[in-house]
Formats: sequence, structure tokens, C-alpha cells
Amino acid sequence: MGGHVGAPHVAIVGVGATPQGKLPGATPLGLQVDAFRLALADAGLRKDEVDGLLTMPGTTTPEGARNYLRLGEALGLAPRFTASLSMGGATALVLMQLATQAIAAGAATTVACVFGDTARTGGSRFAAAYGWGDSWGIWGMFAAAANSAMTARRHMHEYGTTSRQLAEVAVACRRHASLNPAAVMREPMTIEDHQASRPVVEPLRLYDCCLISDGGVAFIVTSVERARRLRARPVRVLGVAQAHSPETIGNPEWWYVPHQQTAAEAAYRAAGVGPEAVDVAQLYDNFTISVIVWLEHAGFCKRGEGGAFVEGGRIQLGGALPVNTAGGNLSESYMQGWLHVVEGVRQLRGECGPRQVEDAEVGLVTGRGMTLNCAAAAVLARD
Amino acid sequence: MTYAKPLPTIDDDNRPFWEALTHGELRLQRCLACGHHRYPIAPACPRCLAAEHEWTRLSGRGRVFSYVVFHHVYHEAFRPDVPYNVALVQLDEGPFMFSNVVGVPNEALRCDLPVTVVFDRVTEAVTLPRFRPLEDP
Repeated sequence: MGGHVGAPHVAIVGVGATPQGKLPGATPLGLQVDAFRLALADAGLRKDEVDGLLTMPGTTTPEGARNYLRLGEALGLAPRFTASLSMGGATALVLMQLATQAIAAGAATTVACVFGDTARTGGSRFAAAYGWGDSWGIWGMFAAAANSAMTARRHMHEYGTTSRQLAEVAVACRRHASLNPAAVMREPMTIEDHQASRPVVEPLRLYDCCLISDGGVAFIVTSVERARRLRARPVRVLGVAQAHSPETIGNPEWWYVPHQQTAAEAAYRAAGVGPEAVDVAQLYDNFTISVIVWLEHAGFCKRGEGGAFVEGGRIQLGGALPVNTAGGNLSESYMQGWLHVVEGVRQLRGECGPRQVEDAEVGLVTGRGMTLNCAAAAVLARD
Repeated sequence: MTYAKPLPTIDDDNRPFWEALTHGELRLQRCLACGHHRYPIAPACPRCLAAEHEWTRLSGRGRVFSYVVFHHVYHEAFRPDVPYNVALVQLDEGPFMFSNVVGVPNEALRCDLPVTVVFDRVTEAVTLPRFRPLEDP
């Protein structure tokens, strides 16, 4: 498998996720510490073996970009490689890329990537208006849902995508969450339930939108060689890439998030495999339309065909391509894509019980964040 | 009655845009080096990086590239307005801007609907560019 350009011999060796949902009294820092402890135990590592620390500050993290410092202190670490980064839902995978590069370059041997947030109980920030300088709120343009609603409307106009097709995504995530004891939303959902949910920002309804959650997540990256000596079954990072469109409405294609395709293609190239090799995919689902667009960008279907692709349960377990097998941001918990990494790893370890994709060898994980600006993708494989 | 919705922060960089609107003109920056019309307002051309520009008057015509209808109230001042639309309008000269389409029920909106600018004076200092259908939809 190895030897491809851009694919360092690096593996994810430990994952940790705290309880998710509504956690009164929890703090972002405390959740990060808990997640780190869980990931260490999963890997069978001692904390003094971790010499790299990468973090994403939560939306409620008071210290913001200095989170690496606060968490490093709380964990009693002395890293020789550390940083905090805020790219929303692309961050986990961008940090994975930084970790693989640091390990390949000898800047660190074992890097922990950690996130914690109390967006559910600590005050959600997702309703704010975007725009530098003049706020888009002047015209009433608020919240993350509106950006994806713009994408959905144009996608519907150009390709005939329907709200019932969006519902297929929500229903698939919910069915998978029902098989995941750690998921927040486990009640079964039908397409009709989705259609009956209240409009939030048309064409998006309530069940097109992700949850808002408290929780912490961590994963640990090290060399494949070191990983093989540890407790957990290593999952190799075959390829990981990022791409961005910092321009928003200044870019005529902004609505379609074209950098997602750039990131996915670069990850495949580094991995030396294409979409046909992918057994299971964790596709970033801040809103249902995002999954449809990711299916197109990651090469599972052509542009405009994502709506048809998801019909008839094809992204459910047992379908053509099982997607978001733990329930995703829509039904497991909104950890901004960090749990997508955890599930990506667990599927390839074969640990997923009733939601396990049989003989899963290669998995794709994607992330996207900010005002449709940032994207990243990773191809993972069983060692 | 005070206007409770968000207002622009007028500064040296965007004053020509907001002043022109109070005179019933839609003006945006046009790069003097490459001719690119840019929006959002920026210190240099994002295509060629030249700073030299003029505030050129636009036709005010464009089309609804995409639009959404807000039902959820994210800001109290918009509560009386729901359901209200926000459109991503592509101007004939190229740039995209967010705005609202007036003079048409939300149900009659559609992508690619031709629109033209109207000037909505909301305070003494601020006139917002909104759009109305060019013809009866």
C-alpha cells in the first residue's frame, strides 16, 4: 500500500469521544481533557509519549486561538510541536494533515489532536451573520443554515434536486444513529417526518440541519511502525489534503464549494486509490445538502447527480455506499466533523457492531467549514 | 421609530458605496488595471492585486442567482418580517451581492429571475440597495 507520493507512513492509533449532547456543567477544556484521556487509553499510550499537541478551540472556548497553551498546561505536556487552528468543520482533517507532516518531517513522533465545545449549553454562536466589515445581517442573512440553503436552492434549480432527496440523507443518518448507543438522536425518522418538520431557512427544514452539541473528541497520530507496537489496531492515513476558497460571494462558484473537489482529488492521489476503492464514507453533514454535494465532489457520481445517488436508501448500511455510519453531525452529535474521524477509524478496525460495514478496508472522511470556505479530505485504510 | 436592524459601519473604505446609494446610484469598485468589478469592497483587486480603482456606476440590473426564505428568527428586529427572502443577486457587470427582492411574493421567486435595483432609505445616512423583478414574474 505504501510508497505513494504524499502518503507518509502514518497511522491513527487512538480515538476518544466523551458523552455527547447536553452536558450541563461541562467546560470545553474539561471535555478536551476527558477526550485526550480516552484516546490515550484507547491507544495504550502514556501521556509522556505524546510530543505533539494540535487543537481546535470550541466555539465557547474562552481562550480562543491560545487553546493549545491552556490545554497543554491542563494536560501537563511539554510538546515540541503544537498549534491551534480554526477552520470549522475542516479543522480535524487539516490537523490530521499537519500531524502526518510533522511526523514525516521528524518534528514529532506522536501527535494528539483534540477538540472540545459546549455549544449546546454554553451558548451557540452559529446564528451570527457572516461578512467581514459590513455584516450580511443588514439584509437579514444570518446563520450557517442560510449559506447551505443558497447552495440547496441553486442545486435544485440546476439539477432538479428535491427536498425528498435531502430527506434521504437525514433518514440515513438517523437510521445509523439508531444503531449507535452514543448518538444523541436515535428515534427513527421517515421521509414524511422530514417533510413535516418546520422550515428554518427554505429550502432547508429543521431535519436538514445538524444538531448543536456539547462534547469532546481526540485522536492520536503516530508512525505506522510505532503504531504496530501499541494496543489498538492501527488505521493508516493513506492520503489527507486540504483546499480552500477564502473568497465567498467574490467567487462565482462559491455556492458549489469547488475546493471540496480539489481536496478530495488530492487525498485520492496521495493515497493511490479512487472513489471505487472506498467501502465506507464519513461525509461532512452540517446540512443534508452538504452530503449530496460531497458525493459529487468526491467522485461517487457526476456533478448534479448527488440527489439521485442518495435515493432509495443507497447511502444507508447495506446500500451502494454507507455514509455517516454513526449518525453524523445530523443525528450522532455536532462535533464539527471530529466524530467523523472517530467513526472512520472504528469502521476500519471493525469495532462498530450492528452498524459495522462488513470487511471495510478503505474509508473516506471529509470536512468543510467556515462560510463554505474550507475543505479537507482523508483516505484511511485498515493496516 | 428607530431602525433596529443591523446597519453598515460606514468608514473611509466603503463610504463611496454608501454615499452613492443615498443619491440613488449603485456604485462598486472597478479595477483600473484589469477592469474587474469587485465586491465585497476591498483594498485591492483580488484578480490582479492592483489598488487603483474607480467607483463606477452600475446598471443596477441582474438576476437572482439563488435565494432563501427565512422562517426562523435569528435577530429580533426581523421577527415581524418572517417569512422574508434573502437573494444572492448576480449583477450584469459580474459581481454577486446579497439583498432582498421586493414587490413579489416569496412563492413567485425563482432562480435566474431578472431584477433591477431599488433604493430603500432606512435611515438618514443609509439607503439599502434592494431589487425588484424587472418584469411581472
